[in-house]
Amino acid sequence: MAKIIIDGKEWEFEEGMNLFEACTIARGGEKLPHFCYHPGLPVAGVCRMCQVEIEGVPKLQIACNSTVRDGMVVNTRSERVENTVRQILEFHLLNHPVDCPICDQVGECALQDQYMKYGLYETDVDVGDKVMKHKAQAIGEHVMLDAERCVLCSRCVRFTEHITKTNEMGIFNRGNHSEVGVAPGLSLDNDYSMCVVDLCPVGALTSRDFRFRKRVYRLSSVDSVCPGCATGCNMRIEYADGVIYRQKPRTNLAVNEYWMCDQGRLLYKHVGGDDRLEEPFVREDGELSPVGWDHLWSALKARWEGLGESRRLVLVGSPHATLEELYGLKSLLADAAGGRVLGHRLDGTEMDRDDGFLMAADRTPNDQGARRLGYEAFTASELHDAGGEDALLVILDNDLAGLDEAAAEALGSYGAVAYLGWRENATSRVADFVLPGLSYAEKDGVFVNKDGRAQRFFKAVDGPRQAREDWRLIAELGEIFGHTPTWRAHHDLLSELSARLDAFGALAGGIGEEGTLLDGDSAAKEVERG
Amino acid sequence: MPYSIHGPQAATGGKGSRMRGAELWYLKEIFRGMYVTARHFLTNVFHMADMPTLQYPDEKPNYGPWLRSRHRLMKREDGTPRCVACQMCSTVCPSDCISIVAMEDDRPDVEKRPETFTIDLLRCVYCGMCVEACPCDAIRMDTGIFEIAADSREKFVVDLDFLLNNTTDGVKP
Repeated sequence: MAKIIIDGKEWEFEEGMNLFEACTIARGGEKLPHFCYHPGLPVAGVCRMCQVEIEGVPKLQIACNSTVRDGMVVNTRSERVENTVRQILEFHLLNHPVDCPICDQVGECALQDQYMKYGLYETDVDVGDKVMKHKAQAIGEHVMLDAERCVLCSRCVRFTEHITKTNEMGIFNRGNHSEVGVAPGLSLDNDYSMCVVDLCPVGALTSRDFRFRKRVYRLSSVDSVCPGCATGCNMRIEYADGVIYRQKPRTNLAVNEYWMCDQGRLLYKHVGGDDRLEEPFVREDGELSPVGWDHLWSALKARWEGLGESRRLVLVGSPHATLEELYGLKSLLADAAGGRVLGHRLDGTEMDRDDGFLMAADRTPNDQGARRLGYEAFTASELHDAGGEDALLVILDNDLAGLDEAAAEALGSYGAVAYLGWRENATSRVADFVLPGLSYAEKDGVFVNKDGRAQRFFKAVDGPRQAREDWRLIAELGEIFGHTPTWRAHHDLLSELSARLDAFGALAGGIGEEGTLLDGDSAAKEVERG
Repeated sequence: MPYSIHGPQAATGGKGSRMRGAELWYLKEIFRGMYVTARHFLTNVFHMADMPTLQYPDEKPNYGPWLRSRHRLMKREDGTPRCVACQMCSTVCPSDCISIVAMEDDRPDVEKRPETFTIDLLRCVYCGMCVEACPCDAIRMDTGIFEIAADSREKFVVDLDFLLNNTTDGVKP
């Protein structure tokens, strides 16, 4: 440990620690002014903003490229430091177009924020004298580049060099004419291209998807977990007036660090998509027709009772459903009402390539949670064998018919099929009863990722007016089959399952911000870099 | 002429005295009031041309260039809106009456322009902050139109087309 004095106060840090990080802690979380430093990237030290005074060193030093040494005396707030930062910021603004009115970064722009504190507010540079660079270039499917706004911090270049290792971006030309861009003949279209939008401290790299759609300062955000694959990247859903505008990664060093794939970011489009199930449907005279909930429940009850004395209940869970819903389905409809649980997924489906970084082969968010609750994968022939004219099949958010043709045929052997889910698909189209549920952005829940880490996500926006929380639908189904659930509220489900099941005992104390490992394995699995 | 107040305040204050005689019947004040009315009446009768009454709505007052009247949006030389949809006006608006949807423009020198721009004139408090906030001088409140009437609430919500072609029958800029 090294004793070090920052701004007149003594601190103890590990020898060799990055001085920028040490200063952040010493300043109570307030970071030094900076553009180029990012904890997830190698240090470049090009923006020269994080100047600090170190006693015994004649010139000011940049904190990001210095390390903590024993006996160091550092000053981050002296007049000399502030003057220097002010002048360096003026340098950064020499060729900046100051076109904030049409820039999407407004509200989360480091240049704006720092100008508020270190601005000169008077400039000697005429707009006409500025070096003009290329504006509004689409450099990839998802990213827009405005080279004039760039402060040449090289974060994007370091990201493509060290994180994705695709090396599309670089800084071209020299001096005043330096310009960030993609290498000739290439375009920025790797799977993580939108991370450079988050990394860019100014408005040089902006998202094409979010372009001009909303001012950033009008967005509210809520913590969530990406439902796109078994990695479970932590993210924030950003929304305004009940509409989701974007999804951004949330830092979790144990899972996704600072990154997230483009696919996951754009999943929000399904939430307001055209294929939402917005009303309850009942099949009448061969046609699915929209009905009210009362009608659906009475029709479902009548059908159930009409299946005869030997009527059976067959249940299919889903790796897309939350832990609470899967527990509700199992404890109420299987254990209490006597249904037979087939499993949670068709064997071998919804698998894609594992890219060795964040995208997992398993493209479902809660496979581990389902398995730990006792669900297993099943085959289409098992689905067929469990069927019969006297069987009611309840499917929880699982597109069996769309995933496998044999499964689609097997669905025909059931007396009745009830589908709970939020998107219209091949299965909902052949079901006799369609019960519209809510998407991941419209409800609270827990997913267990591939490492057995339980992570919470929260509701961002309201769902369609007629859609209901899935756990309530399961409770209503229980009433139809003659069993009242022991849980009355959503949080009862989690507390009951963590109390009753040993596999989920770790959740009894609540789920932390970084998630909770169910196996109690404290050595978090390192995120491998591809 | 100080008033006298009946009751305890008058009794204890010592400033006023109890009214009596003609004062008790407000006789003096009645004649004073009638004098004022008669003076104005006779002035108007003998100097009809200088009568301060305006024959509104046939005659309209001139409030001068500082009047904040119904908004209009300015055009570029080619007739497209000058507005770049930066939404500063709707951000600063205290009554939240401006709503803008931005879109991309394919002209090389214009990146962003409004797709829709609506002002709810019923919510507007005519504070003029939008005009001050606008970085492009795209919105002005100089049409001179301050009488705004319609037969439904919806008609008070004016759109981009209306605002761009808003007649300036008041003071010209």
